[in-house]
Amino acid sequence: MTPGSADLTGEIRLLLAEITGDGAALEAPLGTPLLRDGIGLDSLGGTVLLTEIKRRYRVDIADEDLNLDSLASIGALASYLQARMAAPWSPR
Amino acid sequence: MIKCVIWDLDNTLLDGVYLESGERPPPVSTALSAVLHELAGRGILHAIASRNPPEAGVYAEQATGHAFAAVVCGWGAKSAAIETITAELGLTADEVAFVDDDALERAEVAFRLPEVLVLAPQDLREAAALPLLGAPASTEEARRRGELYLQRRARREEARSFGGSREDFLRHCGTRVTIAPASAADLPRLHELSVRTHQFNSTGIAVAEAEFAALLRSADHQVAAVRLADRFGDDGLVGACVIATSPASWQVRLLMMSCRALGRGVIDALLAWICRAARAEGTDEIAVACVISPRNVPLRIALTSAGFRTGRELEADGAERTAVYRRPAGDALPELPDWVTVPA
Repeated sequence: MTPGSADLTGEIRLLLAEITGDGAALEAPLGTPLLRDGIGLDSLGGTVLLTEIKRRYRVDIADEDLNLDSLASIGALASYLQARMAAPWSPR
Repeated sequence: MIKCVIWDLDNTLLDGVYLESGERPPPVSTALSAVLHELAGRGILHAIASRNPPEAGVYAEQATGHAFAAVVCGWGAKSAAIETITAELGLTADEVAFVDDDALERAEVAFRLPEVLVLAPQDLREAAALPLLGAPASTEEARRRGELYLQRRARREEARSFGGSREDFLRHCGTRVTIAPASAADLPRLHELSVRTHQFNSTGIAVAEAEFAALLRSADHQVAAVRLADRFGDDGLVGACVIATSPASWQVRLLMMSCRALGRGVIDALLAWICRAARAEGTDEIAVACVISPRNVPLRIALTSAGFRTGRELEADGAERTAVYRRPAGDALPELPDWVTVPA
């Protein structure tokens, strides 16, 4: 893992902890799902996460990733953002 | 009592986007400006929370002719702007209302500052008739709506001090979700939901009462109505779905839920029920045609969370992007919580 992606993972964990009001996200394994039984985001919490990501990283996941596979886990989200910020998205 | 209304500018207090309107900034919304002055006349303060340069705030003061008690223009989260404003004015979050046309901004504020009264611009006129916003007389409808706001606040305050999981909290509140075939008596509310729901609406198209009436009579369609109540109050009919049923697949033509039910497990319960009912009928697949819009992100999260996936977008026919989310009816079913009641 590059230092950049480690930073990004840390930022995502902090953001999740802030949204859920629960520090569990800080320690959760990379494979932890974000929705439901994992971090426990519901549709509202997930929306707040996507809105904050759009604001911070200028990546509009809800517009690009229609299956929201990037919310599959903490690691999936970090990889998605890493890839998107390394190479600008080509328009649909 | 609400002591301050905090306004978004772009497409809310202003009829347009400040930074996208060139030399001439957009005019003030006549309707909202009228409400602003009416509320000011009752002694309610006004403030601005806008993603714009500070000049936008100066312009809004000139254009409305109102001196705002606080102006926060910048690119941070709206909840942070509201916290700055309440700190400046010495108010608590439960003493402010926030008006924004953007459903996601409203969701962000509702999520982080649950005590704030969050309103869409189209709801402000109605809210202005409430005693909560200093209205003198009270109609039956205004009284009922005011009660709903108070119930919502009481529920959120309790949620804040509750230790367990969200599911535990919903159970603790005595949450009851009832899913049953819609009846003729539901038609006005079904129509209203089709017009007023955005965050949880798969089509974004208003459906007339007559169209719902025809669907109720159709042998090939199911219209399911979703009701919600808990010990804080009865929210009544908060959502519905229209399903075109055939042995091979269930096509969900419309899925809608009021934001009143946000965060209370209702959309997940409805999707879980659809999956179970489809399987009980021996159907192979469930398909939900869903508009791809920034407004309905919460619905799309709920769909993917319930195991629905989409291939590629349908070719846009001009206006709206659409994708069909599908899942096999036989796959591992999303859990239906024990507080959901369905017809036998």
